[in-house]
Amino acid sequence: MAVKSFKGGAHPPERKDRTSGLPIEYLRGAKSVVIPVNQHFGAPLQPLVKVGDQVKRGQKIADAEGRMTVPVHASIAGVVKKIEPRTQSNNVDGPCIVVEADGSDGVDFLAPLDGFACTKDEALARIREAGIVGMGGAGFPAHVKLAPSKPIAMVIANGAECEPYLTIDERVMIERPGDLVEGVALTMRIVGAPKGVIAVEENKAHAVAGLEKAVAEKGRGLDIEVQLLKTKYPQGGEKMLISAVTGKEVPSGGLPMDVGCVVQNIGTLVAMVEAFREGKPLVERGLTISGAACASPKNVVVPIGTLISDLVAEGKIEVNEADLGRVIFGGPMMGTAVPHYAIPVQKNSSGVLLVSKKEAEHYVEHSCIRCGRCMRACSCRLSPALLNQALLAGDWEDAEKIGLLDCVECGTCSYVCPARIQLVQRFRVGKQLLRAKKQKEAQNACK
Amino acid sequence: MPASNLLLSSSPHAFAPATTRKVMLAVIIALLPATGYGIYLYGLPALILVIATVAASVASELLFRAAIKAPRSVGDLSAIVTGLLLALILPPSTPLWMAVLGAVFSIVVAKEFFGGLGANPFNPALIGRAFLLMSFPAAITTWHKPLQGIVDAATTATPLNLVKQGASLADVAAQLGQGDVGGLYWQLFLGNRSGSLGESSILLVTIGGLFLLGLGVIQWIVPVAVLGTTALFSWALGMDPLFSLLSGGVVFGALFMATDYSTSPLTPLGKALYGAGIGLLIAVIRKFGGFPEGVTYAILVMNMLSPFLDKLRVKKYGYVAPKKPAKAAAPAKEAAK
Repeated sequence: MAVKSFKGGAHPPERKDRTSGLPIEYLRGAKSVVIPVNQHFGAPLQPLVKVGDQVKRGQKIADAEGRMTVPVHASIAGVVKKIEPRTQSNNVDGPCIVVEADGSDGVDFLAPLDGFACTKDEALARIREAGIVGMGGAGFPAHVKLAPSKPIAMVIANGAECEPYLTIDERVMIERPGDLVEGVALTMRIVGAPKGVIAVEENKAHAVAGLEKAVAEKGRGLDIEVQLLKTKYPQGGEKMLISAVTGKEVPSGGLPMDVGCVVQNIGTLVAMVEAFREGKPLVERGLTISGAACASPKNVVVPIGTLISDLVAEGKIEVNEADLGRVIFGGPMMGTAVPHYAIPVQKNSSGVLLVSKKEAEHYVEHSCIRCGRCMRACSCRLSPALLNQALLAGDWEDAEKIGLLDCVECGTCSYVCPARIQLVQRFRVGKQLLRAKKQKEAQNACK
Repeated sequence: MPASNLLLSSSPHAFAPATTRKVMLAVIIALLPATGYGIYLYGLPALILVIATVAASVASELLFRAAIKAPRSVGDLSAIVTGLLLALILPPSTPLWMAVLGAVFSIVVAKEFFGGLGANPFNPALIGRAFLLMSFPAAITTWHKPLQGIVDAATTATPLNLVKQGASLADVAAQLGQGDVGGLYWQLFLGNRSGSLGESSILLVTIGGLFLLGLGVIQWIVPVAVLGTTALFSWALGMDPLFSLLSGGVVFGALFMATDYSTSPLTPLGKALYGAGIGLLIAVIRKFGGFPEGVTYAILVMNMLSPFLDKLRVKKYGYVAPKKPAKAAAPAKEAAK
């Protein structure tokens, strides 16, 4: 099999060996959960329950009207104790519904539905009602992504998992290849794509045989193939994945559908299959808990809303407190550092890293030596060093020309910079400021 | 809650091992074979010259930054690189006070006046040499025969001087004790000839350059462009291309001076044109200029164009040239942006 890839990128130490061989542990016995009301990219939701209400596992507890909304469900059976703002994994306080288990085992799932026999509208409605969002990080509503306004030629299952440490997608590919393939087939059916590709980084080549076997057994005779990709960050970025697999580039400012592609996260595909087969809403997810300050690295499936601090208190995760320097939700390249670990796992949490003091070392910015490493590493072929220069000079016009708004914020530039310049950090802020500036100009132009 | 001592910062939370200091250290290591050979050829005076320029560079950076109350920066080792580079492109007989003056000029005027590391538009070591060459033309064009000590009796002309004065390659070969031009090439490659302290051994300079290429510290585009165009235009102007590459400081300049981060373009196309420009200027200066050698000025002139060459950026991911009405015919220009 030809190994494909994109131009640029970097290869940070993978550190996946700590968990890649460990089967997924199902830790479903949470005594309480803190469920953020808003876990998707889109319009905010309203809670449907009030303090004191009894809820069943799978019961819808928050929803709203509108296309860009995805409901949230109770992940354990119990009683609503509080509805209050709590710190979420994006470091922002947001409304959360606190549910405490009451020993009841009430389950309130949807009725099973044959995703291959129902209408497309029924299928999309099911995906929304089951609360499915992109579980790779962005939390984009799946029912919106799967109703593209352009013809789709290819569905790509994103098995790159290019972030260091994270191995949960790898474990799903090894342990549940049949469900994964069914998810691909289901997605192909919904978007009407004739071809499916399961794209896997080379460091997970051992999963390929199982996947190919599953394609033969569960693929419904569809054209689904497994494609190996070079192990390189950010191979799993949507744009990089598409250009690696198809050789086409998503146009600037465009979406994957503009090149006839839909990209789905591994966890999302499996969750979709469960939403049809068992009627099970997105009430739990798999994630990798690792890091040098984590004495018991593992791959787990936990109810949405499980606090990491509870897992620690219950002894399910052992933390080397003395050595703990940083707690990260997500991977080390794009994840968020959080101030403590009383923070709930949510629909888009792919991992929690307990990073040691040594790894968490803080660096001071030095001056740019113009070595050009960022220029070669940029996955979007922007010119980070020149962009940085433009932003420091306040030259917005030049910054936009160099491609500030095209930056996918993968962070490879900052990773490779020998002067530890906060490149992607500056670009993130710059993007926001430039967008605000353009908006203001547009408003003024209207007056 | 073990909250307070956790570090918060924006991602990424991991960094590649390369640091500015390690990059500079790699350059210093890459220069050591050529430096060692220069000391072997010219003895103790050469060693003292190297130590003097390095010490003067470091000291002037320390003092200048202390005087303007800027953070100390000698830890990045770039001053050592500048001092070492300057020593290697000076005649081994350069008086110490002159070399020290050159080093101070390199660091203070060419580098720190512009804001320090990364902000200087011109290569500091080359500015130091150009400054000395203009101020003390006689001293900076006095060359000594290798392995005979820095004594008046051992002064000689460099192979490039001889050619400039009209000698044929066979004459130069005879001067260097070689029977034919093939032997001359070989001797020039190994480096036993008069010239600047560290430029003469093409072999050792290339080993240093390959070390940096292998580590990814420098990229191949600029050296290949410089060497390729030097050979091409030397040939076009009726000079022997191989002799052009093996004599003077072309290889040293291509690998260690033209690749200087601060003063060369960042983009691949910019690098290629920059290198090609240097090669063209070297050939032109050698053929038509007043000096037998033109590497210093060729690189300094092209340094000037670096910021403009940086405008030749690669095509961005997913960028499609905006569709214009049929009459507009400038899509090629747009695509380069």
